[in-house]
Amino acid sequence: MQTNDLTTHLSSDHSTTVPVQDDLSDMIITANHLKKIYGGITVLDIPFVGIHNGESFGLVGNNGAGKTTFFRLILDLIEASSGEVKIEGQKVARNDGWKPRVGSFLDEGFLIDFLTPDEYFAFTAKLYNKSEGDMAAFLESMQDFFNGEIVGSGKLIRDLSKGNQKKTGIAAALLGDPQVLILDEPFTALDPSSQIRLKRMLNTLKTSRNMTMLISSHDLNHVTDVCERIVVLEKGLMVKDISTGEETLRELEHYFAV
Amino acid sequence: MLTILFKHYWLENKRSPGFYRNLAVTIFMGLIALYFVALFVLLGFMLPGILTEAVPDSSPVDLFHGGLLYTVIALLFFRYLMQPLSRINLQAYQVLPIKRRTLVNYLLLKPLLNPANYLTLCFVIPFAISGIYPVHGVAGAFRFILSVLPLILFNTLLAPLMKRQFNNLLTGMVILLVVAAVPALLEYFGILSLFSASRQLFGMMTSTSLLWMTAWLLPLCAFLLNRLFFARNYYPETFEKKKTWRQADTKRFTFMERFGKIGELISLEIKLVMRHKRTRSTLYTALLFLLYGLIFYTNPVYKESPGWLLFVAIFLTGTGMLIFGQWIINWDGSHFDFLMTRNIKTNTYIRANYFLLLALCILSFIATTPYFLFGTKIITIHVAAFLYNAGVNIHIYLYSASFNTKRLELSKGSSMNMQGVSYKNFIVMIPLLLVPILLVSLFSLFSASHIALVILSVLGLAGILFREPLLKISEKQFLNRKYALCTGYRNKE
Repeated sequence: MQTNDLTTHLSSDHSTTVPVQDDLSDMIITANHLKKIYGGITVLDIPFVGIHNGESFGLVGNNGAGKTTFFRLILDLIEASSGEVKIEGQKVARNDGWKPRVGSFLDEGFLIDFLTPDEYFAFTAKLYNKSEGDMAAFLESMQDFFNGEIVGSGKLIRDLSKGNQKKTGIAAALLGDPQVLILDEPFTALDPSSQIRLKRMLNTLKTSRNMTMLISSHDLNHVTDVCERIVVLEKGLMVKDISTGEETLRELEHYFAV
Repeated sequence: MLTILFKHYWLENKRSPGFYRNLAVTIFMGLIALYFVALFVLLGFMLPGILTEAVPDSSPVDLFHGGLLYTVIALLFFRYLMQPLSRINLQAYQVLPIKRRTLVNYLLLKPLLNPANYLTLCFVIPFAISGIYPVHGVAGAFRFILSVLPLILFNTLLAPLMKRQFNNLLTGMVILLVVAAVPALLEYFGILSLFSASRQLFGMMTSTSLLWMTAWLLPLCAFLLNRLFFARNYYPETFEKKKTWRQADTKRFTFMERFGKIGELISLEIKLVMRHKRTRSTLYTALLFLLYGLIFYTNPVYKESPGWLLFVAIFLTGTGMLIFGQWIINWDGSHFDFLMTRNIKTNTYIRANYFLLLALCILSFIATTPYFLFGTKIITIHVAAFLYNAGVNIHIYLYSASFNTKRLELSKGSSMNMQGVSYKNFIVMIPLLLVPILLVSLFSLFSASHIALVILSVLGLAGILFREPLLKISEKQFLNRKYALCTGYRNKE
């Protein structure tokens, strides 16, 4: 009964959400026949997805749907079982070329926990050839988001709270002026004010710098606020691909309702 | 309750993902341990003979008794460096209705159940049989063992207390050195003799019927001191102070900035070494290893064996590189995703590791130049060993680093910790040490070891001159293994 329900559910969705195949040249990220198989189980299977330059792309799905796997494939942290990801036309696999243009924060593996946040920012700034002045200006612009903590505290990152660690990671992802920003569940562990500040910050970056964003979230409210396109993953498959509109939130809530 | 805690500890170890993968290492370490046990037993039996030969005018029993207190201090020093602190996931248990005293007792008694901490008994018991029994009989031998055993317990209990008390490893080392140096100096100037005090005290314990019981006061005191420590430091936060880092501390390596991204990456690794317990204590151990040569170069037996001399020379001139080189790349495990997604070319990353190892190699070589005083033979061997280390061994380490996909946990454990080590680390030792030693030994059979040294130097020079193509090979290997590393490092043990 249950499975039957699910399949009808899925197929009806497929008919309404055929991905719009338009001009490839405008796409900054493309994934083709992308598959990841762990021990015989397919955890991600995306025939094609393209993300436009300047698009804010939201990824939602329950635990184990393949969100982080998809992001790791884009960032070349795991090897695709088949297919490929391209950023600005270059394959990402075993390639360094895309790295200057992409900022990312997925989990604590993106932090260097034995540094202070100041050292971590300074180190990251050096990697992106930013001057001390650039960095000072950047940290100044982050003051609001940091809420007066983090910078200058002298604590090591490993001794920060989870929320402050997350803020540190998100800020460092932005430090290199990336064209593409990839964040995995950026809103979790943040306090309510910080969540609102982060949303505001992301919206500003989108309009002022035309930054392409890939954001996964469990919070349907936030993700519909920030993203103009939302993709739902379920058990590794893209089951919905929606342009955000007034009905989107209700549609998603209905989809995830149990 | 206590037994349940010990059972949990056993399960924790058994169920850690590293347990079965680590089986090869465990077996290997077990064999090494057996070797040491056999060595100790043998030495214990032979000691009376050795002592009579070395110091003919006093009895071996007196010598042993006299040296006991000094030995206790020396072994305490070792334990302080090597013995890992026992831990418990306090938060998980503290909220359960378990008496705090039980948890503290568990922490304190755990090292006493570790057979490795009784290794010295393998030496003491044979000596009791071969040295004490002929003089004092069976009862004397038992009294001897019963008065030495509490000393072992005392050390086993005191070393963790010192570790917990002194947040800084160096403080404890200095205190222990002073504790050893003061009586040694008094002894030297003939003012006061700890040796004769120790001889009389333990001599009485061995010869009188129940006096050995007093020795058991020592471990009891150590245990109570430990309990006092935990009573005074009720909350873990009071003795696990979080250090804050001033800007001044962090600006110390600014000179590295001149070398661009490579310099930045190297100064990152320096911070990594200085800010983790395991790497820091390894650094101090490495400094001690630099003195290793004094044992070998002063001994005429080894002077005639070029193979041994080369082994010591490779080890000395490459101390830092050989010790830290086995962790290269692996120790970036906790922030590996960061390094792989930032604007760092793979080539830059590999080169940064190369230059770090080269710098360690050169530093170790400079630090061992005082050994040049032992003569031209040592100088030539050292130079050849240095070239081989810098030209060949660094490349071997870089190439093989990506085979070990285990994440190193740097914040836990002391210098002799085997976590994150796989059998591959031992296989690397073959080209690293065994090949040059065999080469030199082979040539020395025809009394032509100098030719072997020339070959090693030429190989080393070639490795330095052709480093770019060699680094390309390591880079390619690294890229091949990249995903295996990413996945492996995400598994916390």
